[in-house]
Amino acid sequence: MLLRNTYNEFIKIIAKPRSYIGLGVLTALIFVILFAMKADGTSFVSFVTASFEQTLSFNGNILNGNLIAFIILQMLIVHIPLLVALVTGDLISGEAAMGTIRMLATKPISRTNIVLSKFIAGAVYTLILTLWLAFLALVVVKWMFGTGDLIVLNSSGLIILQEQDIMWRYLCSFFVAYLALLTVSSLSICLSAFAENSIGPIVSTMGIIILFTIIGSMDVTVFDSIKKFLFTTHMASWRSFFEDPVKMKNIWESIVILVVHNILLVAIAIIKFNKKDITS
Amino acid sequence: MDGPIIEVKNLSKKFGTFEAVKDVSFTVNKGDVFGFLGPNGAGKSTTIRCMLSLIAPNSGTIAIFGKNLANHRSQILNNIGCIIEKPDFYRYLSAEKNLEIFARISGRDSSKKEIQEMLEFVGLDGRGKDKVKGFSHGMKQRLGIAQTLLHKPDLIILDEPTTGLDPQGIIEVRNLILRLKTEQQKTVLLSSHQLSEIEIIANRMVIINKGKSMIEGSVDALVNEQDLLLQINVSDYQNAMQAIELEFPALQVKHLHGSMIEMAVEKEMVAKMNYFLVNKGFSIHSLEPKRKLEDFFMKIIQE
Amino acid sequence: MRYLFFSLVVFYSLSANSQTADQIIAQLVGKINLVKDYSVKANIKADIPMIKVLPVNATIYFKQKDKFKVVSKGIAILPKQGFTDVSSFLSNKNTYVAVDGGLKALNGVQTHVVTVIPTVDNSDIVLAKLWIDTKNKVILKTDLTTRGSGSVTMNYVYGTQLAFGLPDQITFTVDIKKFKMPKSISSDINNSEKAKKSKSKIGTITIKLSGYLVNKGISDEFFKKKN
Repeated sequence: MLLRNTYNEFIKIIAKPRSYIGLGVLTALIFVILFAMKADGTSFVSFVTASFEQTLSFNGNILNGNLIAFIILQMLIVHIPLLVALVTGDLISGEAAMGTIRMLATKPISRTNIVLSKFIAGAVYTLILTLWLAFLALVVVKWMFGTGDLIVLNSSGLIILQEQDIMWRYLCSFFVAYLALLTVSSLSICLSAFAENSIGPIVSTMGIIILFTIIGSMDVTVFDSIKKFLFTTHMASWRSFFEDPVKMKNIWESIVILVVHNILLVAIAIIKFNKKDITS
Repeated sequence: MDGPIIEVKNLSKKFGTFEAVKDVSFTVNKGDVFGFLGPNGAGKSTTIRCMLSLIAPNSGTIAIFGKNLANHRSQILNNIGCIIEKPDFYRYLSAEKNLEIFARISGRDSSKKEIQEMLEFVGLDGRGKDKVKGFSHGMKQRLGIAQTLLHKPDLIILDEPTTGLDPQGIIEVRNLILRLKTEQQKTVLLSSHQLSEIEIIANRMVIINKGKSMIEGSVDALVNEQDLLLQINVSDYQNAMQAIELEFPALQVKHLHGSMIEMAVEKEMVAKMNYFLVNKGFSIHSLEPKRKLEDFFMKIIQE
Repeated sequence: MRYLFFSLVVFYSLSANSQTADQIIAQLVGKINLVKDYSVKANIKADIPMIKVLPVNATIYFKQKDKFKVVSKGIAILPKQGFTDVSSFLSNKNTYVAVDGGLKALNGVQTHVVTVIPTVDNSDIVLAKLWIDTKNKVILKTDLTTRGSGSVTMNYVYGTQLAFGLPDQITFTVDIKKFKMPKSISSDINNSEKAKKSKSKIGTITIKLSGYLVNKGISDEFFKKKN
């Protein structure tokens, strides 16, 4: 029954116009970035290398597909959660608002399976969004800008990663980025189980992300102990794959924290939805 | 299956401090079109939602097909088709797709042919490919009935299925329900606040008011238990009223309007009264013994 | 009177030394001018604090007097100043004075130290100190102080192309004290480590050069084309 309802969920997601908003916006955003890079990419790059350029000159194709893919990931990881929540925040509460949750809950499928099938559908949608991002960033961008070494600026300085050493880093970072987005999906599904309309969970999800991100970026000792456990702190952990050497310990820690978040959020959603009196 | 199809015992449900259902009990037998009658806010929907596991009751037991709902939820729901209040569908999907989706999680897949036949049965043939967002309330209601029947359940639960329909729609839905009984031998539980509806369709019923079940039995028996209301259109109604009161002092005669008078009488009194008035020289223009459930219902809920 | 005498002594001694220095520079420039153009395979290894990069292979192209191009598949880091600046600077005799700094042994080779001071205001080079192997007419070491890029030290090792005065290896030592990390870019949520302040302020770039193709003729267009 779980698979049957998951299949139903896919049909619903495919038929809903809002599912395509995410893909469309993502595509538009990426093409805006590409246009900007094509038009004035060199000045963007010199902003990255400015500190060193007084003394050193950087030769070779710096503004290549790998760098732009990195810039895209860096810029969009803040916005993609909204696109994810737009669809996943509606999965349970949208049905409550439409009244179809009543129809669904009177069918011989357990409520746990209803939540799980929505979680699976949300996870697949998030995966499609991530794969689309990966396709645009790694295939289309590279086709337009060519490939080359990747120059990354992080807190410990500049790292230049060689072309042949980059793809595996992207694949791994897309996986971790997916896990982070999946947490957003689980969060909005969880909030969706508490709500009767779809706006509430979508706005709440974004509110929580903004709040946690602010707490995470504030240099105040009071928050130091909790920062580590906020899922938003680990949303940028994909970036760690572009360190040299890669800090696997940090990455594993992020993966564990994100997975635990997912499990907890889905469990809360299941418990809440099972106890919920459907009165709509 | 022998024995009752539905057995609800001492069902209670509270929302906060508000007791929506208090100690409701009733039994539905196989083949019944069971009327679940009560005014708005009586607790009908809450009871039905408890029966479909949409709401968890605070106390009491619900057994359907001889099995406890709490322990055999999926098995029971597998064999029930229902509409609660109004059928809601995925507006952005076609009627066919909606039926396909609900059939898939109702325990059995339905073929395109079965879906088509069902759409025909409810009078929606040719509209299957249309998106539900363009459907009128009546069409949705018919699609709702198609949805309840598609997986061929033995028990159909319809909560206020004619609410919001125009007179034509009401007649269509009523006819559909009657066909379910006659053509498909389904057991139907039908909730309504419209007594005429129950009287026309149901063979058994329970009346529920303020969260309590008031009375249960066959519609005919419940009606026959009561006195008739005899309405007579008679010439010289004032003298006629005096004559009746003198001859039958136990009767209370009321003037309704014009030359129409009314009194509550036992069944055998109808012919006697006709004979008496004609014998006394009064002209009788009409004589109508009324045995409407409305009167009984009003009496019950006013208690 | 005493001051006049002192001034005269200084003037004569300076002019005597400059003559020598000018001759040395002229010999050096003469050798530099032997090379009209060249291309060379380079292996560039940068060891600069705050920059992590693996050695990169590139091809360097040069054409008199100041055309220079690096073609690299990867990103190659070179010092901003120093690769061709010294030779093009020395080529224009009217823009500097050369002062003899005497003889000095460098890695067992007797060198003549010449300090070159620009006489024009718009020169980016503020001071250049050259250790010149007068026997082979090549520079073994340069200390370059520039207006915009701080100081750069270059050490040259010669081999196969000694006749053209082209080195097999150049080691640049650059001053990195001006490096600042832009905070907006470096803010990395996951990296709780504070930006490290580098203890070392010196960066070195070692370029191994091989496979010279000298005076084969390179068109001017080639230098205009983007990689």
